[in-house]
Order: sequence, then structure tokens, then C-alpha cells
Amino acid sequence: MRWQLGAFSLLVLAVVLLGATAGRSALGGSSASSTLIDGTTDTVTNLDPAGTYDYGTFTADYQVFQHLMNYTNGPKLEPELATKCFPAGGLKTWRCNLRKGVTFQDGSAFDSADVKFSIDRVNNKSILKQAAANSPSPLIGNLKSVTTNGKYAVTFHLKAPQVTWPAILATQCCNIVPSDTYAPDKLMPNTSQQIGTGPYKLVKYTPGQQAVFQAYSGYWGPKPKTSNLIINYYSKSSTMKLALQKGEIDMAYQSFTPTEITSLQKQKGLRVYSGAGGRIRYLVFNVTRDPGNSAAIRRAIAYLMPRQAIATRVYHGQVTPLFSMVPAGYQSNTDAFATAYGRVPNQAKAKQVLQAAGLTTPVPVEIWWTPTHYGDASADEYAEIKRGLEKGGLFTVTLKSSEWAQYSATLGTQYNVFQLGWFPDYPDAEDYLVPFYRSDTFTQSGYKSPIMQTLIRKELGAAKLSQRLGYIRQIQALAAKDVPIIPYWQQAMIAVGRNNVHGIPSTLDPTVYMRFNKLSKS
Amino acid sequence: MSGQGTSLRRYALTRIALIFPMVFILVTLVFLLMRVAPGDPISAALGGHAPPQVVANIKHQLGYDKPIYQQYFTYLGQLARGNLGTSITDSRAVTDIVRVNGAATLELTFFAMIVAIVVGVVVGLLAGRFRDSTMDTGGRLFGILIYATPVFFLGLMAQLFFGSYLGWLPISDRASPITQATLQTHTNLFVVDAIIDRNWSALGDVLRHLVLPAVTLGLVTAGVFIRLIRVNVMRTMKDDYIEAARARGIDERAVVYHHAFRNALVPVITIVGLTTALLLGGAVLTETTFNWPGMGRELVVYLGNRDYAAVQGIIIVFALVVVVVSVVIDLVNAFIDPRIRY
Repeated sequence: MRWQLGAFSLLVLAVVLLGATAGRSALGGSSASSTLIDGTTDTVTNLDPAGTYDYGTFTADYQVFQHLMNYTNGPKLEPELATKCFPAGGLKTWRCNLRKGVTFQDGSAFDSADVKFSIDRVNNKSILKQAAANSPSPLIGNLKSVTTNGKYAVTFHLKAPQVTWPAILATQCCNIVPSDTYAPDKLMPNTSQQIGTGPYKLVKYTPGQQAVFQAYSGYWGPKPKTSNLIINYYSKSSTMKLALQKGEIDMAYQSFTPTEITSLQKQKGLRVYSGAGGRIRYLVFNVTRDPGNSAAIRRAIAYLMPRQAIATRVYHGQVTPLFSMVPAGYQSNTDAFATAYGRVPNQAKAKQVLQAAGLTTPVPVEIWWTPTHYGDASADEYAEIKRGLEKGGLFTVTLKSSEWAQYSATLGTQYNVFQLGWFPDYPDAEDYLVPFYRSDTFTQSGYKSPIMQTLIRKELGAAKLSQRLGYIRQIQALAAKDVPIIPYWQQAMIAVGRNNVHGIPSTLDPTVYMRFNKLSKS
Repeated sequence: MSGQGTSLRRYALTRIALIFPMVFILVTLVFLLMRVAPGDPISAALGGHAPPQVVANIKHQLGYDKPIYQQYFTYLGQLARGNLGTSITDSRAVTDIVRVNGAATLELTFFAMIVAIVVGVVVGLLAGRFRDSTMDTGGRLFGILIYATPVFFLGLMAQLFFGSYLGWLPISDRASPITQATLQTHTNLFVVDAIIDRNWSALGDVLRHLVLPAVTLGLVTAGVFIRLIRVNVMRTMKDDYIEAARARGIDERAVVYHHAFRNALVPVITIVGLTTALLLGGAVLTETTFNWPGMGRELVVYLGNRDYAAVQGIIIVFALVVVVVSVVIDLVNAFIDPRIRY
């Protein structure tokens, strides 16, 4: 028996030593400077852009595919595969001239046929079925048809005027793929090579584990600053944090808990970068049912919303109070809720509003939130909201929660006051207003205002910027007055990197695009 | 003898035939539970971002608004054609999930079971052999402690101590990112793939990544084996044939290891087999703690997204594995132990 024990001990030692010597270079935390390793807790659905709408997949696809227009260098929309996009006789028709000399990663030449093909296939019935919930087709809901004008121009015919159509071209709906390689009626499986015109080629993808990219030698634009990119996928942010601290990954983007960020800020060898972001969080009222059907109750809650307490106590300063659905930093942001209800909770005004409506306090309110979709801090966030609303005895709040799959399926039917969050499809104020306040809003708030519909219609069709900004401001003011939704925080775009990773601040902006091609390692 | 052979053959055929109704019942239960549970994959993906009409249209395209019995028979028809389905959320064929993630689970389970068996057998044997001694007390305490410790807690402590504080071992994943990126995939079993390629650097890296999760899972599993083996050894040591062996003057070591121990292990084979089958279904907590991309972790993700197709497909595979292993164990036991009759 003793010799068997001894043999076993030697075997264990051998295994560890074997790895200690043979595996050292892979584990030393000193990845080759030509390889940037990023960690994320995001997930990937379909890499074929016709079947993807989620942010995690978009981050991977962004390195491989390109658009006619894009936010290539920041929040300013720029031509990418197009040289110019302009209205051709009103805002219902848009013409884009295409860039010449671009080749796909399989060597085929890019031209107008590829543009028409790429966008048409998003709405293909068979692809819609395969993509199911991941289809980006809602983004081109306003598109009637695409026509080609020779080899290097296309025309988009819309159903209704839309001044922000070029911004739509920069979203998930409109990644350009080669018409010779992709099938018109079938998604390219994740196990097959994805082909785009972007700075990186996707060379290996292991679902749920890793995506490996290499610089595309035939890229028409500036070469990526790092030749190789690996995105490592983690199921838990705590594991990702340990991996970052140990040097197994060079950086991490999306997403840590506030406590983890605070801990990482004190870590030697690491830096936490924060830039303007576009994610927001808001409270929705179903205005057709009690208590949301009382404007007085909605306004009283707007007076009491403890934004600063949430930002400080729950998120340690990693979010900032939000006073409009349009985030601060956008040209058209007006902080309408601050104008209407003040920047700090005001119990006196809230009480006044309730009394004027003849309501007896405390008013009972049931608020729903979900612990499984918006991060671990949601519990504390809603505890803080409860505390804020109950201060002064104006409300009695009952908090209820359910996991996301159930929560998302019953938004319109069961919840009267509930939590939601948003990240932009495109970084324009329109994307923070129209989806929320039009009559078929996905929030299922039941909000239907003819004045608001008119303003939205006018904004979509406003040819002049000054006109458009005016409508956007009016929409924000009306939204604050009617208050079917109360926005309360916007999040900075946060990434954490080791000290030898450079360029991260340049890619943190309201577009929430992570441009790995601009990052380098020393 | 021929009567016994017929009995065993009949038993074997009966057990094999019972696999199909067992799996069928499980499939039906899972199908119904997934449909009855609130939520659906479309709302989970698009809720909070797309208008209700868009969600309804997609549900209609996929047939989720059809009567449940219609959806059920459509699914059975698909199964009858050998199609385990494709996940709704990320369009992965279930066979691909089994091939890639199942291999990860298989690799982890294999090494974890080695740890569990070695530790369980050694400690259990010593505890049973030297009953009521310090070794026995220590072995029992160890077994209880390790069994009672939540596996994710043990895993986290291992990560913090060996991975973070001492820096001896990696804390997550099957391999370092660069090794995983460059390793050629043949079988999806990284150890085997590294050996096939004679990539010794990769092999070392993969083995090092296996240490913490395999030891964590193995130790917790060993807690069960320790107690079982101890009890069996003590019971066997009291049998008449052991006394007879001693009376014949056989060396005590030979009595224990050649006679008592082997017989004490027979019931353990059943437990080991069933535990292995259950672990092949995915040790969810271990996989999540160590970011190990196994079947259990994938199943939890798909469950959270109400991905009917993926959940149903994976559970069919689980059921088949458990049922087949269970049948094989029963047949092996019946074969090696002539006292077992059916």
C-alpha cells in the first residue's frame, strides 16, 4: 500500500511539474505583444450578421464586418464602405456611392450587388425563421427596397421619410457580406468561416469559449495596431476578474459588478478606464392600470427618484444620474426631468402633487425588477428606490422580482411599475425616444399620446438639423410632463486593462463600440 | 447454468428495451415543463427591446403559438428522424453542443473520477482497515467535511489560494487563451488533441488547467466514496471467509487487500458508475466556477433563456447516458457476482 501511495504522489507531482515547465510560457501573464487577449461576460448568438441583434455578437462582428456608414472613430457618423450617403429627392430615398478597390477576406471584390444582397437577406423568410429572436430586421422596418445603380452605387427606398437613415446603415442590420459566399436563405453557421471586409479575420470560434482573430492583410484601411486578437468568454465576472489579475487576459470589457470595479481600481498593474457611455436604466409605468394610470402618482415618484443615492451607494460613482431618456453628452439632451422635477428628491412637491389629486398617503405601489438580466446590483438599486420613495411616508413600496425569461414575457400583462434598461442601436437621440414613446412601444406601457406621435413623425422627417433638434427637445419635455417612464441613470463605458495595453480611452464613447483594432500592447 | 444464462439474457434484453420508454417519458416531461414554465426564448431575447408585435410574429413563424399537442407531435416527428434539434438562441445543433461541450465535461469528469476513486479508495480503505484508530477518525472527518463543503466554495477557495495567492495554478478555462487558440481540434478532448499533435507545451498547459477543477470536483465526490468504502471494508472484514483466511495463516496484508478489499469494492462499482454518469450530465457548479465550458453550464444558460430546443436535446442525451450506464452497471454486476439472480 505504501508504495502505491508513494507512486500516486509522484504522479501528481510529475503532472504539476510537467505543466510548470512546459506550460510556463503560456501562463506567465506575458502574452506576446502581437496578441491582445480580451475577456468578456457577453455571449454570442449567430456570427452571421443577418442573424444577430445582441451586443455580445455585435462586438465580435464589428471586428470582421463593415457597413456603408459607421462610427469608425467615435460618435461621429462617417463613411466606411460608402464614400457618401445623401438624400436623393426627399428623405424617403437615399443614395450611397460605394468605395472602390475593397476586397472581402475571401478575395472577392466588393460592389453594389453585395450591398443589396446583404440587406435583402436580412428580411429573407427562411433567414428570419432561423434567426428567430436574433434577427436585426426590425432595424430596417422602414425600408421598402434596395436597388443598385451600377457597380458602385445603391439606392434605398424607404416607406416613410427618415433623416437618420445613414445611422441605421451603421447598425447590426447592415453588415456587408459577399454575395458569392453567403447563402441568400440560410445563415452561415458559427462553425464556418465568416467573411467580411473588416480589419480582422475570424480564424477560430469555439462557442462559449473563445473567438480568435487575425489581422486581415488585404484590409483597405489602417492596419490594426495588434495583429492578433482573442476574445475569451466567461460565465462569471468574478472568474474574469481573477483571470485579469493573474495576467491570463490583457483587458476586460463587459462587464464587472460595481464592487469588482472598485476593487480593480486599487489593483497594481491594472487601470480602470471610463468614458461616456450609452446604457441607461429607467422605470416604466403601465399607464392603463393602477397605480400607473395616475399621473399624480407618476409625477410624485419622479419627484422622489433617488438618482444620486443609486449612483453613489449602489454603483460607487460608475453611473451618473440621468434626467432624460437622451443621455447627457448628446447634443439634444435637455435634462427635462431635472427641469420638471428638480435634481434632488423633493418630498414637499411630491406630497403636494398627491394631495392635489386627492390621494391618501402612503400610496401602495408594487414595483417589479429582475435579478438575472441587468446585473447583480439591481437588488440594491431597487432597495434604494424603495427607500427613497418611502421616505416621508408618501409611498409604501412592495418590491417583487422574477427571472428574466419570465419577466420579459409578462411585461405588458402583469407588471404595472417595472425596471428596464437600454443600450442604443445607434448613438442618436432618436433611438432613445422613438422606441419608447411611439404608440407600439416595446415597453408595453400603454402610453398613447397623439401629440407625441405627431412630434415623433415630424422628428423622423425633419430635413434640417435645427428643426430636428427642436422636435427632440419638445419630445423630451412632453415625456417629462406625461412621465410614462422615469430615466434614472446612465452608465459610463468601462474597460479594464493591464498597464501595457494602450489606446483604450480612445474607444470609450457613447457609441459603446469596442474598437480593438485601435488598441496596442507594449 | 443454462437457466441462469437465460435469466441474465432475459434481464439484459428487458433492461435494454426499457431504455426507450424511460427516455420517452423524460422527453415528454421536459417538453411539457418547458412549455408550462413562464417565459419563452423569443421574449427572453427580445423582451425589453422589440415591440410586442415583432415578438408575436416571430413566435408565429416558429410555431410557438400553435397548440401544445401540435408542437409536441412535430417535435416527436423530428426526433424520430434522428434530429435532436438546433438551439433557438444561437442556432447550434444539439449534436455540436454534445460534441464540443460534452467533450469538455468528459475530460473533466474523467480526471475528477480518477481523483475521487484514488482518494476515496485510499482513505476509505485505511479508515475501514484501521477502524477506530486516529486514521479512521481522520478519514471519516475528512470525508464528512469534504462532502459537506459546497463544491463552488471549495473551488473558489482553491482559485484564491493556489491560483491567486500562490500563483501556482491557473484559475479558469481548459487552457490558456493562446494555447486554446493554437491547439488543433481533433477530438475536442484537449489532452488527447495535444498528445496527437505532440504539442507537449500545450499538454502541460492543459493538464495544469485541469488540476484545480478536477481536484475540486474529485474531492467532493470522494467524500461519498470514502464513507461507502469504509463501511464495506468493515463489513467484509467481519465475514467468515476472512476469519477462515486468517485461521489458515494468510498474511494480514494479503487478507485485507486480496480478499476483503476486492469484495468490498463490488457495491462501490455501482456507485462509481452512476456518479460518473451523473457527472457526465455536467457538474454545473464546478463548471461555472472554473469557467469550464461543459454541458452542465450550457444547459443552465439555455434553461435561463428558455431555449426549448437546446434544453430538450441536451436532456435526451443526458438521459441516454445515465440510462445506458445504469444498464451496463447492472449487467456487469450481474455478470461478476454469481449471487445476483433476476
